[in-house]
Amino acid sequence: MSSSEQPARQDARVSTGVPGLDAVLGGGLVSSGVYIVVGEPGAGKTLFANQLCYHQGRAGARCLYVTLLAESHARMLANMRDMAFFDSALLPEGVYYVSGFRTLEEQGLPGLLELLRREVRNHNASILVLDGLVQAQEAAGSSRDFKKFIHELQVAAGLARFTALLLTSANGPAVHPEYTMVDGILELRERTQGVRSWRELQVRKFRGSATLHGVHAFRITSNGLEVFPRLESRVQRTPPPDPGAHRLHFGVPSLDALFPEGLAAGSTSLVLGPPGAGKTLLGSSLLEEGLKQGESCLYMGFYEPPNRLLGKVASAGIDLGGAMADGRLNFIWQPPSECILDVLADQLLSDVRRRNVKRVFVDGLSAMQQASPEPARINSFFAALTQELRCTGTTTLFGMETPRLFGPVLDVPMEVGPSAVAENLFFLRHVELEGRLRKLLSIFKMRDTHYDPTLREFVITSQGIEVLPPFSAAVDTLLTGLARHPGAGHF
Amino acid sequence: METVLVVDDEQGILEALADLLREEGYRVLTASHGREALERMAELRPDLVLTDWMMPVLDGPALIERIRAEPAYKDVSLMGMSAVDVAALRHLYPGMPFLQKPFDIHALMRQVRKALDGKQG
Repeated sequence: MSSSEQPARQDARVSTGVPGLDAVLGGGLVSSGVYIVVGEPGAGKTLFANQLCYHQGRAGARCLYVTLLAESHARMLANMRDMAFFDSALLPEGVYYVSGFRTLEEQGLPGLLELLRREVRNHNASILVLDGLVQAQEAAGSSRDFKKFIHELQVAAGLARFTALLLTSANGPAVHPEYTMVDGILELRERTQGVRSWRELQVRKFRGSATLHGVHAFRITSNGLEVFPRLESRVQRTPPPDPGAHRLHFGVPSLDALFPEGLAAGSTSLVLGPPGAGKTLLGSSLLEEGLKQGESCLYMGFYEPPNRLLGKVASAGIDLGGAMADGRLNFIWQPPSECILDVLADQLLSDVRRRNVKRVFVDGLSAMQQASPEPARINSFFAALTQELRCTGTTTLFGMETPRLFGPVLDVPMEVGPSAVAENLFFLRHVELEGRLRKLLSIFKMRDTHYDPTLREFVITSQGIEVLPPFSAAVDTLLTGLARHPGAGHF
Repeated sequence: METVLVVDDEQGILEALADLLREEGYRVLTASHGREALERMAELRPDLVLTDWMMPVLDGPALIERIRAEPAYKDVSLMGMSAVDVAALRHLYPGMPFLQKPFDIHALMRQVRKALDGKQG
């Protein structure tokens, strides 16, 4: 249970050194607290505890790492040496490893408690890690003895002012009744769906302040653990700023003429269309125009790597290379396999905030949708993402591929209605007319501005996009992809 | 028969080292921290003390200090072993051999033999 309803206490905080985790914990661990970190073998508990120790050691704290029946210290350090946070200069003054297993075997929990108290005092440690709490639990004569051990450790932590992390593998329920007296419980786990797996962190209990609710993704790289707080749990509750009269255009005169007032700054738009219909060029045009206006822009793509994309848009007269070279345009390219939804959101929003980005084109909304193993989450995720983007005043265009090249069925491959994502909706499709396959553009919806609802053919030339005058009144059923003249069969 | 005192708080390592040294023909004493090592030494003076560095109760540096301060142990050879970078320890304790954990058994036996031969020389 998270304690978000409780008023925040002004306790000193211990930074974990794990990016994103302090935010989840409302500022870090509470100093002198006792925390249980629970997870199956391989969940990342030992790595997490070491990362915290080296982070704190680097800041001048002294950390005591006590193992019970765990891997040898030499093996553990060999595994840590490849991690960016590892610093051999902190050994043994900043981070000190001892084994308490023999003491536990010979003297039981009272002996182990005495060892912990004494070693914390001897090393003047402000951080204590006990790796292998399950061994202590098994050595306890009864549940009451184990609770007593936890209680006395808590008393010792309060008196000697150290913060304790007790690492234990999941054995039975993640939250044992014996754990209820600790100040917090963090659960690390790995989930699998089909052949795909991902890591999750959940704060099961936290005394002292609000935490970010729910399940948060984390990953392990050579930098150690990195937590990506669930976007919906930290979304800004304030209404987005009023864009006022600030409007944006694509920089394509014949397209901009369809909505002369322009897109509202900070709005989100969606362009739907089959492969090759021109979504990428439309998004690139929006960014190129922004760059001309002196705005920082961001392109997030999933399929075409930057060099291929630059060549593709250049052949249509859109020059993004210069802006990418001088940093006005950033290109986040993320191949769609094994994406994590909150990592994508973090990458996008971090760049938006860091560079004060004003225009974003996300080329591949489907890839973002597929990054979530929880389809039920998509609706709330995109609502949160668009809210964040609106609050930063960023105008966003999402491109989304429809599966059919042409035909009478209009597929919208979204878990949620397009309106949940976008205020403005553009639709592109191929249409067969007079023996030729043509590109068609229509505006389905545009909030707070007048727009031309007529169906338009648009062409792509080496000079860019051009939207042609409305189709002849003698042609209809264009949106089915199989146009015909009234009274006649399909062409 | 030469006697080696092995001091390590990690029970698995302590037992493995003791078995290997016994198989090599040494008499082996064990202790899981420095204070216990001093108690063993009071009972039977070893020829070599092979000690870990980070241990509870009394750590490696403190044990070395106590042994060096005791004239009765002036002929006892000392060797350290640690998962900590031993290059820095060699600098702090010139002339004292150190083994970098993890080490292979051949390196251990060579160093033990060398330390004991050096003592005889």
